Amino acid sequence: MLLLQILVNGVLVGGLYVLIAQSLNLIFGVMGVVNLAHGSFIVLAGLFTYWFTSATGLNPLLVLPLAFVVLGLIGAGLQPLLVEPLMKFGRKAELLSLMVTFGLSYVLLELALQLWGSDFVSVPYLQSSWSLGGLEFSKAFAVSGAFAAAVSAALYFWLNYTDSGKCLLAASQSSTGAICCGIDVRRVRLIAFGLGVGLAAAAGVLVIIVMPLAPQTSDDLTLLAFVIIALGGLGNYGGVAIAAILLGIAQSLSAFFLGGNAEYVLPYVLLILVMVARPERFRPA
Amino acid sequence: MPSRKHSWGVLLAGALGLSTAGIAVAPIAAQAAPPIVIGGTISETGPLATDGAYQIKGIELAIADANKAGGWLGRKLELKIYDDKSSAGTAVRLYERLITDDRVNLLIGPYSSLVTVGIAPLINKYKMATIEPGASDPSIYVAGNEWNLQGTASSIRYLDQLLPAAKAQGATTVALLGLESAFTLACYHARVAQAKELGMKIVYQTTYSLPLPSFASIALAIKNAHPDVVEACTYYPDAVGLTRALHEQGFAPKYLAETVGPVEAPYLKALGPLANRVITNTGWWTNFKTPGNDAFIAGYKAMFHQDPEYHAATGYAAIQALGAAVEGTHSLDQAKIRAWLLANEVPTIQGTFKVNANGLALGYAQDLLQIQDGVLKLVYPEADAEAKLLVPYTGS
Repeated sequence: MLLLQILVNGVLVGGLYVLIAQSLNLIFGVMGVVNLAHGSFIVLAGLFTYWFTSATGLNPLLVLPLAFVVLGLIGAGLQPLLVEPLMKFGRKAELLSLMVTFGLSYVLLELALQLWGSDFVSVPYLQSSWSLGGLEFSKAFAVSGAFAAAVSAALYFWLNYTDSGKCLLAASQSSTGAICCGIDVRRVRLIAFGLGVGLAAAAGVLVIIVMPLAPQTSDDLTLLAFVIIALGGLGNYGGVAIAAILLGIAQSLSAFFLGGNAEYVLPYVLLILVMVARPERFRPA
Repeated sequence: MPSRKHSWGVLLAGALGLSTAGIAVAPIAAQAAPPIVIGGTISETGPLATDGAYQIKGIELAIADANKAGGWLGRKLELKIYDDKSSAGTAVRLYERLITDDRVNLLIGPYSSLVTVGIAPLINKYKMATIEPGASDPSIYVAGNEWNLQGTASSIRYLDQLLPAAKAQGATTVALLGLESAFTLACYHARVAQAKELGMKIVYQTTYSLPLPSFASIALAIKNAHPDVVEACTYYPDAVGLTRALHEQGFAPKYLAETVGPVEAPYLKALGPLANRVITNTGWWTNFKTPGNDAFIAGYKAMFHQDPEYHAATGYAAIQALGAAVEGTHSLDQAKIRAWLLANEVPTIQGTFKVNANGLALGYAQDLLQIQDGVLKLVYPEADAEAKLLVPYTGS
């Protein structure tokens, strides 16, 4: 029973990791853009959720569609200004995008500091658990994970079963080939970036329900997303989902048997091992 | 030979001229007395900003109060503060600037052991007698850093009254946790040593780093060990995460104690009923019968429109001690100020400022607070308590 509870804890955390990572995977996989501002978008949405619930007393999950749409549109607006101009540099675009989004992350960090200050804040929502068969299921993580799963499933369906989604997948595999097939890759990249930022915002709404956030935690979230993508395979949406769940389980096991430091350092140890053993996982699928 | 009449006239004119000049010069001379500039940094941004904000407010109030009373050495006080962004590296650069470029008369330390560890060697290099109101880590105050004088209770005293009290009430087992940060680790190791000295069984112990998205499996491990007491040396985000996780895993120890986090208003807001009966520590409280405490509380509320908490008190007390040294030595000489502070005890709002030769605090202590129905109450030591320690922790 104890082992089952550890697994449950891990799966619940992994569920949230799925959304944190998939949103970056979309941008990185399709565009080859290293979006270092990813965590900043998550934090902005989380802090906005805190402000919204404090001001209105309403359910924080009501913010999710609003955050998705608003930040998604902001992302779509930023892409042609900051990111699209870099695409003409070919392979150098990855490094250039890293630098541009690094700068963007600090602009967003400062915006968050000015709007909400530097305090850690948390939304007091669903602070208990469901008991089922002797196991405890954290309500906050379960609900967040369920939303994350629904969003991820919708993303998977859109990518694989809709024309527009297939165009995006095609562009991620070969922009030249996509152009030859008559796909407007500039439009596809704009949609991918906007959608990725919107999904990051959705992740932010769910993250602040389960853990306190502050502007300065954005870098940690970006790093976590990159680790999961590295483990799951760049552009491999199914692989990233599995990697996120497995990472959650691995952290849960290490926390129980080895303590808090093991839980903290595990993602980075795994990243090093994967990068050394299977560096091809960081090339587009 | 000039006539007497002429001589008297010259004398009179000269006297009038001198007195007029004197009248003109006197206010200029008084205006010319420069203010005493006290320099320092505070974490206006970054992860330490919450408590940094309280500390600087305490310092600002103390400066204002000192100026109302005429300043020090007949001179007004001025504060020159930079934002260290919660970074030791940034603080080092800024303190060097304060000393060598701004040439401030006196220094006051930053918030947190994390930042103070960085500047301590610099303070020693320039031999500036600096009271450190925000650095509870005792490892800072050693030979080689002796110009840094601890202005708060050492973190090895945080929660030090809980285990003896719990043991006296029948507790035998304890789980100990500590965040991997300067002061929290010092607190954690001290509590481990204390538990062993008291003969209490440590059934679980771990340190951890932040951020941790979930404390669920740590809480599960604690639940599996079933301790009477859970003592965690924390800041705010981990205090919230641990309390929530314990509740979600279905475990409530008889005593749940955390440092720093529970003292802050956002803790109660984040946890609601889960915070009830959580125990924490403080070096200052509103019911202390220390000199100037009532005036400090009233003045803080009037100036900042909020209640003070203990970080504000450490800032205020540091300026009290520094002022006593300046007045006591009648000088701004750093060596004299340091020698005076080492040789004397200064009554402050948070107790008695007293340090050893390395600057380690000997006078300041830590009391226990408990959240009871949404309000922090001082519960230990019993002689100063405003409420009884309520057991067990219910989380509701």
